[in-house]
Amino acid sequence: MNNLRQIAAELLNTGKVNAIVGYVPVDGTSRTKPFIATKPEEVEKFVINQNILNNLSVYLTKDEVKKNFKKIGIIAKGCDIKSIIALIQENQIQRDNIVIIGIKCSGVYADFEETRIADKCVNCEVMEPHLFDYLVEMENGSVLAGEDQKIKIIRQIETMNAEERWDFFENEFSRCIKCYACRQVCPMCYCERCIVDKAIPRWIESSAHKRGNFAWNLVRAFHLSGRCVGCGECERVCPMDIPLSLLNRKMIMVTQEEFNYKSGMDLNTPTLIGSYDLKDNEEFIE
Amino acid sequence: MKSSSNKSNSMEEKYITQAKLQELCNELMENNFDVFIPRQYGYQKLNKGEDFTIDNSLKPTKSSFKDLVFPKAEPILYYKKNKSEVEIIDPKPNGRTKIILGAKPCDAKSISIMSKVFNWDYKDEFFNVRANNTLIVGILCNFVDEFCFCTSVGLSPKSTEGSDLFLIPVDGGYGVKIVSERGNEFYQKYSNYFTAGDEKQIKDSEAKVKEPEVTFEPEQVRRWIGENFENNYWNTVGTLCLGCAQCAFVCPVCHCFDIVDEDYCYTEGRRMKNWDACQFEIFTLHASGHNPRNDQNKRYRQRISHKFKYYPDKFNEILCTGCGRCSRGCPVSIDIKKIVSDINSFAQS
Repeated sequence: MNNLRQIAAELLNTGKVNAIVGYVPVDGTSRTKPFIATKPEEVEKFVINQNILNNLSVYLTKDEVKKNFKKIGIIAKGCDIKSIIALIQENQIQRDNIVIIGIKCSGVYADFEETRIADKCVNCEVMEPHLFDYLVEMENGSVLAGEDQKIKIIRQIETMNAEERWDFFENEFSRCIKCYACRQVCPMCYCERCIVDKAIPRWIESSAHKRGNFAWNLVRAFHLSGRCVGCGECERVCPMDIPLSLLNRKMIMVTQEEFNYKSGMDLNTPTLIGSYDLKDNEEFIE
Repeated sequence: MKSSSNKSNSMEEKYITQAKLQELCNELMENNFDVFIPRQYGYQKLNKGEDFTIDNSLKPTKSSFKDLVFPKAEPILYYKKNKSEVEIIDPKPNGRTKIILGAKPCDAKSISIMSKVFNWDYKDEFFNVRANNTLIVGILCNFVDEFCFCTSVGLSPKSTEGSDLFLIPVDGGYGVKIVSERGNEFYQKYSNYFTAGDEKQIKDSEAKVKEPEVTFEPEQVRRWIGENFENNYWNTVGTLCLGCAQCAFVCPVCHCFDIVDEDYCYTEGRRMKNWDACQFEIFTLHASGHNPRNDQNKRYRQRISHKFKYYPDKFNEILCTGCGRCSRGCPVSIDIKKIVSDINSFAQS
């Protein structure tokens, strides 16, 4: 921990960064919340424990942050770094403008109630981050035991026919209230004007009825296909506990199987949607 | 709608067993009324009386019963076009009688608070028809966590404000207080289900509630907000807010809405009144392209100011019931109780 605070304080002192985004505890609870430190003394508040659930890379896309801070430090787990890589590849942030303080992570809880390990942590391949400028250890980190619940459900849905799948998702989406928390927390949803906010013409209905809910959730899953890194934030923040990660994880699996591509792993691999090669697979359109 | 007059002193308390209450639910449903009870995500329609159970020590439902009087998406007119002629068809607001059974005090008050703005410069028939046909049966609350603050906004776990009838869990059933005229009419109609109440049992139950600690004085907060529009504090509060509408949509009293048209085809469609939130970036975007609240700090300032200053100024009601849903669900753990308590301490120094 002292290591982190030393690194962070030095970065601010030397002016290498103008701000550092990290996690601080919420008083009186085991929760943590995001915090942007701009002065060296503020780094005392930072913590790294198994409640650091947020993917802070979303702040790298916010106007308020970009406007006020030219160079930003970010404390990031491996899954968060995947988002950072994807954002760099889509030209949303410059590699030179960020300093990544990577965390050797043992997994985080799925929610603040600490009921179980997050599904994304089971089978995580980036517990040792794959891109960073500094590396720190998680304090009191012990690998949490648990099962990936999502993959089980995905396998179940794969055995359903079209009508059953429709019913399943219709039931889940019926709770959607169109709060767009899923969109706002997602680092890859950085469009200045989201398609659902366009009124002339109205492509996607903003109403929270069956059609509007389906339209929104499917469009978001489509727009993330090939780009989503599977950080699971969308599902964590949904106030109605809609299992959004089912759609996104399935698309990640499809992308892997069909195109041998995984978003956010390597800065030098061309992105799936953002590049083409004459040797690309064309069998599916013959 | 007279629901906040406190008649419980002048009227004897009653008693109803759990079984009788379930039977009553069945009769209500046979009479074509809809009964709604709190479940994890929101208030759900009861299918049969036997399903009625309530545990008042659970935390508030994820979202309030607001959408029963103010739907998430509501058609306000239908239109048909034929060349240059347009036919407008008015929908009939749903006047079915609804009984909300088991609303915590922080939920029960919501209709009477919202009713002020929906009857201000325009009488909103969509809201009024629903509200006037909704009976609220409140229940004593035995839950408290670090996000609750009903006592700071003039309510409490045993407050009957906003309820027509009020249940107090006792042995084998519930003590019942008749709070409003509408509650009394209901009682008179179904009095055979009730017996005389045991005042001691009721008082014992009331004494066991855990009240959240009062952490701010609304008048002080209102004054400070009025005098500190440009205060630098507002630049620190909203920076981490992601601008989703989770807080506004789960809130029992947030009521902003958006009017949009939905076409079925070129010649037919409907105009919708949908929930909207001041936290969305385009909430105040003008047609010219100018946006007076063009960053999250300004938008968050609006949220706090509307709830604790503008609405109280206009309607003498705080636009908040202290239920804590916004803070419990916030993706980045922004805590409205903490913010308003901080403002209170600024006001006092």
